[in-house]
Amino acid sequence: MIVPLEHVLIVAGLMFGLGFACVLARRSLIMILIGVEVMINAVGLALVGASAFWHNIDGQLLVVLLMALTSAEVSISLAMVVYLNRRKGTLDADAYNEMKG
Amino acid sequence: MSGAELIALLPVLILALGATALLMAGAWWPRRNTLIGTGVAIALLAALTAGGCPPPVAEVSGMFSSGPYARFFTILWSLLAAMTLLLSPRYGRARRFPAGEYPALVLFAAAGMALLSSASSLVGLLVGLESFTLVLYILIAIDKTCPRGTEAGLKYLVMGIVATGLLGFGIALIYATTGTFHFAEMHQALLEGGKLRPLGLLGWALILCAAGFKVSLVPFHLWTPDVYQGAPAPVTALLSTGSKGAVFAALVALMIGIGRGLEALAPLLWALAAASIILGTLCALRQDNIKRMLAYSSVAHMGYVTIGLLAGGETGRSAVIFYLVVYTLSNLGAFGVLTAFAIQGEEPQNYKDLRGLGYHHPRRGSALAFFLLSLAGIPPTAGFIAKFNIFHAAIKTDHLGIALLGILASLVSLYYYLRPVIVMFLTRERDLCLDRGSASEHTVLGVCLLAVLLLGIYPGPLFDLIALILPS
Repeated sequence: MIVPLEHVLIVAGLMFGLGFACVLARRSLIMILIGVEVMINAVGLALVGASAFWHNIDGQLLVVLLMALTSAEVSISLAMVVYLNRRKGTLDADAYNEMKG
Repeated sequence: MSGAELIALLPVLILALGATALLMAGAWWPRRNTLIGTGVAIALLAALTAGGCPPPVAEVSGMFSSGPYARFFTILWSLLAAMTLLLSPRYGRARRFPAGEYPALVLFAAAGMALLSSASSLVGLLVGLESFTLVLYILIAIDKTCPRGTEAGLKYLVMGIVATGLLGFGIALIYATTGTFHFAEMHQALLEGGKLRPLGLLGWALILCAAGFKVSLVPFHLWTPDVYQGAPAPVTALLSTGSKGAVFAALVALMIGIGRGLEALAPLLWALAAASIILGTLCALRQDNIKRMLAYSSVAHMGYVTIGLLAGGETGRSAVIFYLVVYTLSNLGAFGVLTAFAIQGEEPQNYKDLRGLGYHHPRRGSALAFFLLSLAGIPPTAGFIAKFNIFHAAIKTDHLGIALLGILASLVSLYYYLRPVIVMFLTRERDLCLDRGSASEHTVLGVCLLAVLLLGIYPGPLFDLIALILPS
């Protein structure tokens, strides 16, 4: 492998951190979902890098599984987003605060 | 995948294919009660197959084990799905749950929990965890007319997908350090000179954080009370028992063979357990809503189970599994009573709604009191034995401090568990006229009650069984 594993992991770690920061900082549901997507793509990048480093196909297989999982997750999340928007007319996560205590 | 592996996976296949069949049937023939009944039959069939059809191979595709440990939990979660479905017909009619989708989703959830508990590699762990979390997102918000259900679904969704990201990155880091996903090989490769490698430690920490989200350990517990309150009562019963139990079952399997690595994780586990016990207990004290009180108390319970993980070894592991079984039965019973009281799909939630129930509905009132006492850990119930074992395991492995904290918290917990009981039995007047409940709901309550009582008086057989199934 030409690129050392450390570099791949550093880039993946940065991507993961950026995605996580986006989840924490943004209040719009769509932006939160995008942040999670970035986090999961960072996972995929790290897995592909590690797979190439170990000359082992398992990591790439997990990436394919991860894509399937993510698409299922995104479809459920977007269905939820459409439904929430129809109910309350907003996608601001802070607007959903009926229950407290 | 060979034929033998398919046979080894048969119970899960029955659950998943049965759920698909129900989904199809519901599209053309939406009879809610019949489909829910069929769902119960499918779940029982899966439990029977798991118990009576010995697997020809020990492991499926290097991802899922089919040993006795996996089979035990497959049976447990299948029975849980059956009981959840038995609780649902009347409640589902009042709230107009979609006929085919609801039983299908509950069965899918059971399949996911069974897969998670039988995971023998990190890939199996991720797939199992996701397959039931995705189902729960839908189940929590299944009542589209209820604004609280929507909010609960949203909160669980946002927390859940972040937890997935954390879990994925933890797995990727462990894979990058070791080059394998398989539990047994992973543990050896993670240790270097008797110590965990730094990246491996970070991976472990991320996995534990993700698990903390799913089982609601402090500081990842924020979604718990809102989701418990907003979700329909039978769904809360499933969510509060199965989804947490399955994650802990997988963690127990994951931590077998961890060896010296446990020492590196001990501070993290200790902190999670202590914070969950303290905060869960304190927040539960000031609740006036029984569902929210049970939510915070479940945070404390998960802290107790984490003590068992921290203790490790044969005693710690068997204490964890015993605790999970007892907690599942007691919690299912408590939410079952609330479901059985529901009128028009609204279960009594505030303590003032429970006033005088002990006199007007003596059997279910005493059953609720019994389940709450079991959760508190009062002697004739199974909850006492379960807690005793956890603390015994902790003291045996020199974790005296956290054991004392747990015992203290259990004493404090008596206050918040007894409050609803006192409200139920103190006055004869009542504010609400509650439903009589249906036969299927009473059956579930009877089964839970009998099991909690039997395990409290005579826990020996379950311990023997756990010792038998625990992989060493």
